Amino acid sequence: MRQGQTRTGAKPVTPPFSPVLLLGMALQPVRPALLQPLFDAMLRVIRRRHPDILERMADYSDKAVCIDPVDLPFVILLEPNPDAPALTVRRAVDPAEVAATIHGPLEMLIALAEGKVDGDALFFSRRLVIEGDTEVVVALRNAIDGAGIDLIEDISAELGPLARPFRSAAGAAIGLMGRMRDDFETLRNALIAPAVKDVHSQDSRITQLETELKQLRKAARRGGAA
Amino acid sequence: MAETRPPRPELVCPAGTPAALKSAVDAGADCVYVGFRDETNARNFPGLNFSRKELGEGVAFAHERGAKVLVAINTFPRAGEPALWRQAVDDAAKAKADAVILADIGLIEYAHRTHPELRLHLSVQAAASNPDAIRFYAERFGVRRVVLPRVLTVQEIAALNPKIAPVETEVFVFGGLCVMAEGRCALSSYVTGQSPNMNGVCSPAGDVRYTETPQGITSELSGFTINKFAHNEPAGYPTLCKGRFLANDKASYLFEEPTSLNTLSMLPDLIKAGVTAFKIEGRQRGRAYVAAVVQAFRQGVDAVMAGRPLPDIDLDRITEGGKQTTGAYEKAWR
Repeated sequence: MRQGQTRTGAKPVTPPFSPVLLLGMALQPVRPALLQPLFDAMLRVIRRRHPDILERMADYSDKAVCIDPVDLPFVILLEPNPDAPALTVRRAVDPAEVAATIHGPLEMLIALAEGKVDGDALFFSRRLVIEGDTEVVVALRNAIDGAGIDLIEDISAELGPLARPFRSAAGAAIGLMGRMRDDFETLRNALIAPAVKDVHSQDSRITQLETELKQLRKAARRGGAA
Repeated sequence: MAETRPPRPELVCPAGTPAALKSAVDAGADCVYVGFRDETNARNFPGLNFSRKELGEGVAFAHERGAKVLVAINTFPRAGEPALWRQAVDDAAKAKADAVILADIGLIEYAHRTHPELRLHLSVQAAASNPDAIRFYAERFGVRRVVLPRVLTVQEIAALNPKIAPVETEVFVFGGLCVMAEGRCALSSYVTGQSPNMNGVCSPAGDVRYTETPQGITSELSGFTINKFAHNEPAGYPTLCKGRFLANDKASYLFEEPTSLNTLSMLPDLIKAGVTAFKIEGRQRGRAYVAAVVQAFRQGVDAVMAGRPLPDIDLDRITEGGKQTTGAYEKAWR
């Protein structure tokens, strides 16, 4: 975990073993400024296609939020001021700069933005971690969920005649990503299999010991030999 | 004599945003219930709810697809300041909402007097659970449907229905659970000064803090520690009713555990009990939740009505604390 990203210093979410993690490693040497035009373009699309997001965030216009894709070497700083919104990519953000931070794997954050997963469910299952001002995070979650974002559709709509090839390319990329994810899962399972076997064996031993302990306690209460 | 088949119950689904309303209708909702973006409804959460314009568009969208829209105006007006709540009723009627869901008796009287054509449903917040109370609302104000508090067993609901006919009953079938004092719970107000009853918000997000520690996550409400979850332990909402308290060196839940109501397996019994509408809780949840739960219950209701076995649908991934209960409908703790 990069310094200055969390309020507590504790590692909030372990990045999953995924193609994105590999991509993140490959992007380590890349300067954030090189990616900034991409985020500027993304913000323009959002402002044009989903003005209701900033409208729903109107009460929180001065509250910056740090979005931390835990499997990438960057964070994204969102400033929701309706007159001058900004989406800035940085190596890290000082917690004092932001009202709140949202940590999660990139694919999950994208799925959340597109309304494909439920934010509360992610929080319950601890796959999403939030720190700081909970109110601004809830407002942002609701504003984005309510906008009905569809990234491929939204970007396609801005590309004019290039929309069709973009959709085809995006479809192919999603397919490739899915296959890579499956391969990574197979690889992960192979790597951890010996450790999992050990844990299962320890689990059985602990259960057996707990049973014995209960029986001994019961016997002791009855005044029998323990 | 041949047994009469119970009518097909309506599926009443939550929507906190226009996108969620569309998800609910597309997933098979018969009705969608929504609220305005203010304290007139019990999910007055940041960034949530409908503007007047969005409500009008939502009603049009739903009506074009044969679905209804109900507007929850189910908080209690501040003494001497009913204007905001009355305006909400007027605006719901103007937007051609199919019904308003009300809790306050004064507001119900206003709606009945001012908009006699507007269908009135009694909110769960009114906590009317016996024939006398329900008949009073029906006879005096023309209330057509009552949303039953989550305190009754299926047998009690079956016994109640014929006593209040033709008033319809609506019961919660999925979602978050409150302690059994809806409309009267003061826990949030005690700690934060704001309550679902008056301000439309339980344990407001602005009073909540989560802190990650090496041991796990700690949730706080207005500076009070509500719960501590170890790593990999499913978390719950940071409400006082779901606080884990330490007594005699043992941490346990005093009011209720973080868990979600799920009655999918009980749909045949609830239909047999004569319930008119099944309500899914969760206007504060995302459209992924809305789509998943509505689809599951659409399939469930359709299967029961067609005489098919209930589908086996796992909703664990979207439940609070990763746990489910049938709550008071079975009262398994008795």
